[in-house]
Amino acid sequence: MHKTVVDANSSPFRLNLRELWAYRDLFIILAYRDLRVRYAQTFLGLFWAFIQPAATLLIFSVVFGRAVKVDTGGIPYPVFAIAGMSAWTYFAFVLNQSGNSIIGAQEMVKKIYFPRLVIPLSKAVVGLVDFAIVMLFLVGLMLIYRVPISANIWALPFFLLLTVVSSLAVGIWLSALTIRYRDFQHVVPFMVQFGLYATPIAYPAETIVKNLPHWANVLYYLNPMAGVVEGFRWAIIGGAAPSEYSWISFGLIFLLFLSGIVYFKKIEKVMADIV
Amino acid sequence: MTDIAISVQNLGKKYTIGHQKSGSLRESFASKVRGLFTPSSMEQEEFWALRDINFEIKRGEAVGIIGRNGAGKSTLLKILSRITDPSTGRFEINGRVSSLLEVGTGFHPELSGRENIYLNGTILGMKRAEIKAKFDEIVSFSGVEKFIDTPVKHYSSGMKVRLAFSVAAHLEPEILIVDEVLAVGDAEFQKKCLGKMDEVSKNEGRTVVFVSHNMVAVESLCKYGLLIEDGIIKLNDNIGNIVNGYLNSLRAYESSVQKSRIMTLELMKLVSVKNEPNNLVKCGSTFSILMLIRNDSNIILDNVRVALGISNLEGQRILHLDTALNNQGIKLRSESATQVEFVLENNPLIQGVYFVTVFISYKDEPQIWVKDFMMFTVVEGNFYGSGRLPKKEQAQVLVPFNIKLND
Repeated sequence: MHKTVVDANSSPFRLNLRELWAYRDLFIILAYRDLRVRYAQTFLGLFWAFIQPAATLLIFSVVFGRAVKVDTGGIPYPVFAIAGMSAWTYFAFVLNQSGNSIIGAQEMVKKIYFPRLVIPLSKAVVGLVDFAIVMLFLVGLMLIYRVPISANIWALPFFLLLTVVSSLAVGIWLSALTIRYRDFQHVVPFMVQFGLYATPIAYPAETIVKNLPHWANVLYYLNPMAGVVEGFRWAIIGGAAPSEYSWISFGLIFLLFLSGIVYFKKIEKVMADIV
Repeated sequence: MTDIAISVQNLGKKYTIGHQKSGSLRESFASKVRGLFTPSSMEQEEFWALRDINFEIKRGEAVGIIGRNGAGKSTLLKILSRITDPSTGRFEINGRVSSLLEVGTGFHPELSGRENIYLNGTILGMKRAEIKAKFDEIVSFSGVEKFIDTPVKHYSSGMKVRLAFSVAAHLEPEILIVDEVLAVGDAEFQKKCLGKMDEVSKNEGRTVVFVSHNMVAVESLCKYGLLIEDGIIKLNDNIGNIVNGYLNSLRAYESSVQKSRIMTLELMKLVSVKNEPNNLVKCGSTFSILMLIRNDSNIILDNVRVALGISNLEGQRILHLDTALNNQGIKLRSESATQVEFVLENNPLIQGVYFVTVFISYKDEPQIWVKDFMMFTVVEGNFYGSGRLPKKEQAQVLVPFNIKLND
């Protein structure tokens, strides 16, 4: 017999993984809905997921590849840039989507019970489709420029996981924060724009590490994606190994992820009242 | 195994009115800073939407929750559905719950009917395999077979509601929590829905918690009821007593005086020619609604507009009687009371309970406007001279008619 007990005096933090698992169908169908709807009535459809990174790549290649001549350690610039951009695109997508995700689903939140974490989690799944397309793009460019896969490829699953976890960590934080403070609706686009340059995407991280003082490097790696993008690229196409500053990024991801869930759980109790 | 489906102890829900609800960083920051200087924040006002709620519902019982708008019914349902957490107390539910606070939650206009069935079904807690197994049944119940692969945005609103309700009707929870979802759709579909709910509670023996303003529906569906008033349970009894209690609480308004700056509605009552007791009128008989309006100003108020709206128990407006309709503006002499009587010959209302809304204005400025100010009951009468009347669900009003034969 299924039994539900709700007590106003029970402890506020209770992450129920089993319940979350029981709601996997909902989580899948919400992701499916987002995917179906996103390109509904568009002429180019899923092709848009390719056009956006392609356009950014073109600009980067002209500005940083040709004009500034960033030192990529012998790797053709487009391959270098897209390797960094793939992980970043996913991160940016999840950030953009999660912030508004619960406000966007408020009709549901106010009318039905389900673990609210399903909402930001489903956004992270939707982003995987775009991520896969950019990865295909990357593979295509590697074939064209005949860039071999690096020997560090064994580390790729680890960095893929880190990409997803750091996106989720920030996404969960933002989805909960935006409910209470709509200010974050305005902060997110700014964060994404800023992050595109504050992350080693268009340039190698070494440039930063070598030219900036210690304290600035610490600050730089407080961007969780700084370590991830660097490692991600190293795993695929090689080049300089991630600096030890990366541990700052990794540690921060872990902290953000745990604290994000705690904060989300706290807000979850009053979500339907304040959304 | 326990035979208690839902047990609620000392449940309460508090809301804070004012700044706290949702806001910006600046507000939240500012209030924290203010908190440093002032020991208690005076600005926040507490409001208890529910307080000291205790009750038990046995397995297989259908219970109706009744109360005026704002009494706390919806808050109670939201807490029982776990949409929001209680501020005090606890509750226990034994069994799988489905709550229907609206139909069509999560429907997406860009998706087809088929996709929306899966989406909505999943949101309501069905498993994918379960929906698949019932899919054909859901579609045929809704009657939109032909358009099942068309995006829902091209559906009429009626079709959308039918599809949404069909999904909900095929839920198989042990406990069903339903809010006023029956207030949608056409009369025929509403009947279908009520039938389905009756089936669920009576034949299948499931527990149903049902909130509605539709007394007829509540009375026919439920055996027990809770009357909620101002956030507390006023009455917990069998449904007949609950409905009576509710109607009495509405009636308590009847004698209250309504005032504006320049006039007072001192009295409003129903007068039936045969002087039947307790606000009863027969179909086809003559009755009037009498008002005593006092002009409190020292000038003559000319061309005062008085309008009465008569609504049935479901809240549908049946009649509108208005001095503006037949140009009979009313003159109120200064500092005295005038008796105004609306006379209805051959009462065309079919048997049932009705509410009278009163509206009085002077020079297009509303003075008195009270919704459901008075209640009266129409009982069977000899409208057609034959002693026969159409059944309640066949008509809303009665009109005289003749039949001509051309041989």
